[in-house]
Amino acid sequence: MIRGVIVMNDRGKPRLVKFYEFQPAEKQQELIRSIYRVLCSRAENVSNFVKVDSLFGQDVRLVYKTFATLYFVFIFDSSENELAMLDLMQVFVETLDKVFSNVCELDVVFNFNKVHTILEEFILGGQVLETNSSEVVKTVEEILKMERAANSIKVVPSIPGWQGR
Amino acid sequence: MEQLKTIGRELAMGSQGGFGQSKEFLDLIKSIGETRSKNEEDRIVLREIETLKTRLANPNTPKFKLKEYLIRLLYVEMLGHDASFGYIYAVKMTHDENLLFKRTGYLAVTLFLNEDHDLIILIVNTIQKDLRSDNYLVVCAALNAVCRLINEETIPAVLPQVVELLGHQKEAVRKKAVMALHRFYQRAPGSVSHLISNFRKRLSDSDPGVMGATLCPLFDLITTDVNAYKDLVISFVNILKQVVERRLPKSFDYRQMPAPFIQIKLLKILGLLGNGDKKASEHMYTIVGDIMRKFDSTSNIGNAVLYECICCISSIHPNPKLLEAAADAISKFLKSDSHNMKYLGIDALGRLTKISPEIAEQHQLAVIDCLEDPDDTLKRKTFELLYKMTKSSNVEVIVNRMIDYMININDNHYKTEIASRCIELAEQFAPSNQWFIQTMNKVFEHAGDLVNAKVAHNLMRLIAEGFGEDDDTADSQLRSSAVESYLHIIGEPKLPSAFLQVICWILGEYGTADGKYSASYISGRLCDVAEAHSTDDIVKAYAVTALGKIYSFEIAAGRKAEVLPECESLIEELLASHSTDLQQRAYEVQAIVGLDAHAVENIMPMDASCEDIEIDKSLSFLNGYIQQAIEKGAQPYVSESERSGMSNISNFKSQEQHESLMHSLRFEAYELPKSSMAPHVPPVLASSTELVPVPNPYNHTEVHYSATPMPSVSNAGSSELKLRLDGVQKKWGRPSYSSPAPSTSNNDAPKIQNGTTQRDSVGSANSKARDVSYDSRKPQVEISPEKQKLAASLFGGPSKSDRRQSSSSQKVPKNNSHSANKSHVEKTATSDTVAVKTSQPPQDLLDLGEPTGTSIPPSLDPFKQLEGLLDLTQDSTTLNTGGGSGTDAPDIMSLYADMSLSGQGNENPLSTGNDSASLLSGFSDAANRNGHGVNTVPQLTQQLSKGQNHKDSLEKDALVRQMGVTPSGQNPNLFKDLLG
Repeated sequence: MIRGVIVMNDRGKPRLVKFYEFQPAEKQQELIRSIYRVLCSRAENVSNFVKVDSLFGQDVRLVYKTFATLYFVFIFDSSENELAMLDLMQVFVETLDKVFSNVCELDVVFNFNKVHTILEEFILGGQVLETNSSEVVKTVEEILKMERAANSIKVVPSIPGWQGR
Repeated sequence: MEQLKTIGRELAMGSQGGFGQSKEFLDLIKSIGETRSKNEEDRIVLREIETLKTRLANPNTPKFKLKEYLIRLLYVEMLGHDASFGYIYAVKMTHDENLLFKRTGYLAVTLFLNEDHDLIILIVNTIQKDLRSDNYLVVCAALNAVCRLINEETIPAVLPQVVELLGHQKEAVRKKAVMALHRFYQRAPGSVSHLISNFRKRLSDSDPGVMGATLCPLFDLITTDVNAYKDLVISFVNILKQVVERRLPKSFDYRQMPAPFIQIKLLKILGLLGNGDKKASEHMYTIVGDIMRKFDSTSNIGNAVLYECICCISSIHPNPKLLEAAADAISKFLKSDSHNMKYLGIDALGRLTKISPEIAEQHQLAVIDCLEDPDDTLKRKTFELLYKMTKSSNVEVIVNRMIDYMININDNHYKTEIASRCIELAEQFAPSNQWFIQTMNKVFEHAGDLVNAKVAHNLMRLIAEGFGEDDDTADSQLRSSAVESYLHIIGEPKLPSAFLQVICWILGEYGTADGKYSASYISGRLCDVAEAHSTDDIVKAYAVTALGKIYSFEIAAGRKAEVLPECESLIEELLASHSTDLQQRAYEVQAIVGLDAHAVENIMPMDASCEDIEIDKSLSFLNGYIQQAIEKGAQPYVSESERSGMSNISNFKSQEQHESLMHSLRFEAYELPKSSMAPHVPPVLASSTELVPVPNPYNHTEVHYSATPMPSVSNAGSSELKLRLDGVQKKWGRPSYSSPAPSTSNNDAPKIQNGTTQRDSVGSANSKARDVSYDSRKPQVEISPEKQKLAASLFGGPSKSDRRQSSSSQKVPKNNSHSANKSHVEKTATSDTVAVKTSQPPQDLLDLGEPTGTSIPPSLDPFKQLEGLLDLTQDSTTLNTGGGSGTDAPDIMSLYADMSLSGQGNENPLSTGNDSASLLSGFSDAANRNGHGVNTVPQLTQQLSKGQNHKDSLEKDALVRQMGVTPSGQNPNLFKDLLG
């Protein structure tokens, strides 16, 4: 099963954290920090897999990939296939890209509830539920439509002085 | 910097309406983004928490604001701050009718709460209601929450509805209901055991997505109980067939592959079902072969499926045809430039070597490459592979490599793992005692404090018991070499405590045994150890007891024990130690020095640490003593049940029995008698001299007692030594020890004995066999240098370094054996298998070609087989081989039969084989090319992402965009927003 999904930026700041087995907040931070440390120490041009049995127990590994400023990390055990996880991550990012039309780190930061919605369509309770990005987009759009119908929210159009991080 | 700010501003302005969040939230994130230190960030977040606290508590806050605050709260908690004050608002929000709020509420509770949180009870009702909702999105939201929040106690509350939802008209709901039920099963298998049949039913769901989801729980179920699902083999194979034949809707295609994720899951399940089941496996051969032939090596996911096929093939009953295909696929993985592919290749190799060990040998060079790769993941995987393929012929190289690697890693977890693997391999395959001790020394030197304490005891026991049972000279040689090496090592700084304990014990027991070193020399070294590690009580205890042993052996041998001045001062110092244990040991040593040869011989017999001890549980030998004491007016022993309730401390008069009452009083146990006994003879020994009636057990226990240190030796590490100690302690220590200890020690002893005997025979057989084969092969040491190089690189790197450190005479013949092997392999693909199995009809073998070899049980060592060929006088190995192939023959025949059966679909298995081979090679090229293409991209991204400043990162992204490196490949503008 998939143990968790973490999105963090290249400075180790978490942008999306989802563990499928409950982890107390402090533990989460610790895990994020250790994972960040591991990822930083990885050389360039090496495999996308890291064994993290010291953090999560036997046979647990993670797949990571960098997209622009973000690390995407999937943590899973031996019942999943590493390469397939890598592709699932790819599908996830593609979907984010479709939903946010040109996704960037800020999209993930400001809409992490929406990102969670998308993630929920892919992975439920640690199991892969759906692998087709357009199916997910369809569902998410339906949800968003319903939500919009139910409510409308004020939009603040500018963030002056934003630094691009 | 200024320029950057502008870009950032433009960016923010340009991106569609500020992400739909309020200005406050944007400001918060902005200010956190701008912080320079963790402190600064914490301050901002704490201020935010205060704001949220007041705002959330305000009853007039409008709902949409509440929702935003909740999201901010989630954000705060994600950054690692406590947000528990707001949990209740999240719970409240789930009650809302509005879908947006409800979903936000559910999201918040699933992230905030664990399934045992008190607030869950407030949500169950809402979940129940939502599961019944007409709006399927509400149902889905509730199912999401169910998966996360329902624990064993609340399962019954929602179970009926979830089961009902399995038949919901929307497939999205059915899918999630299956998952929820799966989750229940994971959490409390008992609660849903009557519903497991539902998973089987859903397997034939009209929607392939639901079927795919069902595979997850079925995989779990099959993992726990394979036999209950054997009947589904045919169904799974059929489903897989349909998937591969593209019978699923187009929407399940991914990268032009038909439902690869479902294929992977199915292959995993088939692997489980076919494991060790020939009949089930036969159903799978055709379809797995089909997939392997059709696979698309140009995509990541294609390789994932291929890898899964290999896993499946290595798990099910072996089929030569498939194994061949798997071997081909592996070589493609290993030849790839992508580290991911190599990683999978090594992993697959590890799985396959169990079935056909020679496959790994075909890829020696690739394996060596991976071993030297800078990628740590790959390296670790490769070590795992080496661990799996270790046998007595290559153990030295592999273990040396592992140790070299171990020395250089910092990760303690992994260091421990690799250290214990080294030890395991060394214990299992050690070619010689010498080597074993050297290896253990190295492991202990670098990871001594990480390995299990038991290992240290094993080492001591091994040296004490020796390898060869009837060969005493070999044993004493072993001991002398151990002593020698320890005397050499002992001076080094920073030795781990566990290792020092072993050293002290060995030096004490055997330091003077061979007469090479004088007692005063050894005792001097022991003293140095104790002084150098003055903070480590255990080491000191070992050292001082070892001193005692040295002296007593001297005295027993009729010499005078000359106590060096530094030893004397050490003992003096320990006499006043705060540790009662050290104190006692010091007194013991002091007493021993003052005794005559006869008494000492009884107390400390030479080399008796392995002899069994008889334990008089009733302590009848004490009767006289007790009688005396009672006559003198001591109170009789009151059993524990009688005295419970008594405030015992004040009642103490006769120490002997009562001190066992509380171990907090153990101090007195040692001090009281001191005053009543002869002045310089400490109590323990005094009683032991009185106890001459049962001298043997007592004396031995004495030895063991001194050999094994006290409290800090963990129970997990209890070896027989430790257990015997318990037997002794029952007299002095806590009462609870007394009964279990002797029995366990008795049980343990024979078992351990067996272990060593086994190893003995193997070890000696091996070493003998090797000796012979070296001789026999010496004449043909010279082989073409090219091949030799190749063979050397088998485990090439290591053999170079080995030559440096160990006797080259050992290595040369070994390399030779590799090259001999190589040359066979190179002559013809099949020659080695044919040659080895001369007893079989050759035409069958030729038909099957290499695959025949694949059915050799893993225990057979191809090197051995070759050795057997080279030298027929080696009865042990040839016998072995002969026996192996003899039993193999029928197997191979039946395999062949299987093959032709399963190959019916293929008409002619051989010709299809050829086809597939050429096809595959075509693919491999494509894969390589593609590998290059794909690879450069992440490389670039990663390289660039390491850029320190923002300008770098901007440039990099421009570059990346130029190359069209976006996840989808269709949208080059993925990160345009961020970077302008």
